[in-house]
Amino acid sequence: MRRVRSHLSRLVRHPLAQAALVLVLAAISPLLSDGSVQILCFVLVGIIFAQSINILTGIAGQISLGHAGFFGIGAYGAGILAKSYGLEFYLTIPIASALSAAAAYLLSFPAGRVREVYLAMMTLGFGMIFFEVVREWNDLTGGTMGLPGVPSASLRTLTALGRPVGVATYFVILLLATTLFLIIMNNITRSRIGRALFAIHHSEIAAGSLGISRSGARQLAYTLSGAAAGLAGGFYAHLVGYLGPDSFNLHRSIEVLVVAIVGGLGSIPGQIISATIFTFLPEKLQVFAEYQFIVYGLILTFSLLVMPRGIAGLLLDPPRFIRSAPRTRAGRGDGPPVPLRPVAARAPGGVVLSADGVTMRFGGLTALDDVSLALAPGRITALVGPNGSGKSTFVNVVSGLYRPSVGRVTFEGRDITGKPDFEIARAGLIRTFQDPRLVPNFTVRENLMLGAHRLMRGSGLAAALALPSATDEEANVLKRVEAVLRLIDLEAVADQPLESLPYGYRRLTDVGRVLLAEPTAILLDEPAAGLAEPEMERLSKLIRDMRGMGISVLLIDHHMDFLSDLVDDVIVLDSGRVIYHGSMAGMRQDKTVVAAYLGAEETVDA
Amino acid sequence: MDFLFSLLIAGVSVGSAYALVAIGLNMTFWTTRTLNFGQGSLMMLCAMLTAFFASQGVWLALAAVSGLAVVGLLGIFIERFAVRPALKTEGSMGWMVATLGFGTLLQGIAAKYFGSQAVAFPEVVFSASDTVTIFGQPAALQYLVIFVLAVGLVALLELFLGKTIWGQVIRAVSFDQELGRVQGMPVGAIILLSFVASSVLAGVAGMLIAQIGGTVDPAFGFDLVLLGFVSAVLGGMGSSVGALVGGIVVGVLSKLVGGYISTAAEHGIAFALLMVMLAVRPQGLFARPEAVKV
Repeated sequence: MRRVRSHLSRLVRHPLAQAALVLVLAAISPLLSDGSVQILCFVLVGIIFAQSINILTGIAGQISLGHAGFFGIGAYGAGILAKSYGLEFYLTIPIASALSAAAAYLLSFPAGRVREVYLAMMTLGFGMIFFEVVREWNDLTGGTMGLPGVPSASLRTLTALGRPVGVATYFVILLLATTLFLIIMNNITRSRIGRALFAIHHSEIAAGSLGISRSGARQLAYTLSGAAAGLAGGFYAHLVGYLGPDSFNLHRSIEVLVVAIVGGLGSIPGQIISATIFTFLPEKLQVFAEYQFIVYGLILTFSLLVMPRGIAGLLLDPPRFIRSAPRTRAGRGDGPPVPLRPVAARAPGGVVLSADGVTMRFGGLTALDDVSLALAPGRITALVGPNGSGKSTFVNVVSGLYRPSVGRVTFEGRDITGKPDFEIARAGLIRTFQDPRLVPNFTVRENLMLGAHRLMRGSGLAAALALPSATDEEANVLKRVEAVLRLIDLEAVADQPLESLPYGYRRLTDVGRVLLAEPTAILLDEPAAGLAEPEMERLSKLIRDMRGMGISVLLIDHHMDFLSDLVDDVIVLDSGRVIYHGSMAGMRQDKTVVAAYLGAEETVDA
Repeated sequence: MDFLFSLLIAGVSVGSAYALVAIGLNMTFWTTRTLNFGQGSLMMLCAMLTAFFASQGVWLALAAVSGLAVVGLLGIFIERFAVRPALKTEGSMGWMVATLGFGTLLQGIAAKYFGSQAVAFPEVVFSASDTVTIFGQPAALQYLVIFVLAVGLVALLELFLGKTIWGQVIRAVSFDQELGRVQGMPVGAIILLSFVASSVLAGVAGMLIAQIGGTVDPAFGFDLVLLGFVSAVLGGMGSSVGALVGGIVVGVLSKLVGGYISTAAEHGIAFALLMVMLAVRPQGLFARPEAVKV
């Protein structure tokens, strides 16, 4: 089965096979009956629509129960422009797509404020509002009577530049548009943009720590998804010629969700297969139409349990998120892998990062009480203290997850107090979390690529069209990934999905990812927790390498043996206060520290 | 003035019905932080089955109880097969899709076996023509019954959750299931019961609303459950008083809009309210915001 799957995957992903499929479809379409070509057109519309929800839900992880709304905006947009303003379809369809993208962009703002079940309800609400508006706005949409008379390829009423466009010609145009759309989508998912969308899908907080703006990524996902749904809707309008509100109700939204889930969320070829099946089945199988609701219901109830990765998971290898062109270029071995560059931090007065009088209160609880510290370039500072002493809270304040109640955080001479986490990460102050927060279905290499996100500048256009500039940039990052892989000694498993690897490897990937960001300062929150002895040695070497590059390191940990031959300074926190600041040796002698860890001897008056 | 008054009465009454739906949604939210997206189909099925049994000559009360029993059993099924397995996976996608799917399945089955036409609902409790006089205005008795039922239920639930040991157990389970289990609380049974109670309440609400409308069809529960969502979100998910207030606000507002502006906008205004509320104050009017653990 595994071999069949890998052969099938190679065939499906081979550019020649893809081109052959498109050419064959284009070549045979004139030989088919109009009815058959029309069904093929519906298949293509279905594919684009399914990819639309795949972008939003499968890739960016934002559920939508109102996707028929975007589809409908595209369809009615194109229909009204053609019917009332006499525009021809090569204009109406792109405009319809843009309208739907604009609506999705606007929806992303309220939607960005809610998660999970609330997001499901909000999108459901959006779909219902669209449906109600279409049904009641008689003057514009024809209300419940619908909008007949849209120039249609099937009804032979479609013309362009004074010449009739039959359904066969329409099919070829639609085929070209679909192909172009799929190429762009394929490129985007395997670029820094696509990887960022997967990152917010898996952990928004981790994505922020890599310099990915959550709201920016979400807005992009909505806009792209809306554009795709609008494109599908526009083509749909000029295919059928009649638009009625019932084609855009909740059932349509549920249907496209069924198609996407069965195809396999996150998989592009899976959606193509699934959309094809679900368009043909009701056409060819009368029984299916009769039991449609029951079948959809059964699929939705059980498919995520029985077949969580859908058809794609069954038939194909999981998708990868780096294109092969930059990989071959990076692997061609022109010279040794690029060494990691030393950093040149701006450190006014020898201080890269400083916290001044930071106090953090949660309601009545004071988690940090007037904490001040300074990190110098090329020095490792340990932050230790009993559980609950405020170590992680401090890291959360500095990295921008919490805004301190009082106090100031300065990084490279700039005040960063209360700045959002992704801006702080972009500035070059990178952190890790107590639990490694990586994308589990990404390989080690792909996870490392995410680390370099803050440094990558390639435009969306370059990524979408896979322009040479994008390939160059990816290849350069891949060379640095190679260097980091060597440093963390994970070259052998570089192309295995992270979820299949043991914990220690994930932890090393997590710390290695920080290096790819080329940070000036690093905050490591208990990186050695749960590591075996040899892995701990590798980690300690890695942290020394960081120091060697001139990076300032703040290291939270409990293992005193691990820390003692590694760190330059120690800061001890207890109940949110700094109780010691100095050398490791001095700490062991310090009475307050010993008391905080072991408990003070009570002096009893006799 | 009479017109306004009758709109208000009607609004409070349908609002109370929405509140019943919202309370049903809340019950599973208390224990598992899940909502049954298929709740509308349970409302429909209960009303449909009651009407069907009654049309076969079954004694009315027995028909109603049978309908409730069936949806109660379905509640067990939903918890066991749609929600429990999905909760083991990360995120909320699994149970949302599964409960939505189960609702679609029930709707499909009802359409297949009872037809998609509306079925007349029998007069179970009272007659549509029974009226009482409030402030000198005649009001349908059934409106009043729903209102009294909703208020009574909210009062009972508040007492139950606030004053009894089992209420505290439910709150503990909603806070941390694992901890509840360690403390020896019958977590599994509580969750299962919450789904049964939620489903039975959906059935009761379905019958009452079908009684008012007079008919029931396979798509019957769908809009209702959406309006139940709106009410629950408006009041704050999980809050009983919130559900009642939210329901009445939604009911009155949509009736006023329907009466003075356009009946077409009746539902649209409720969904718009939902989106605004979610965007501005997702925790609702009566619940505190949830702390996010980093």
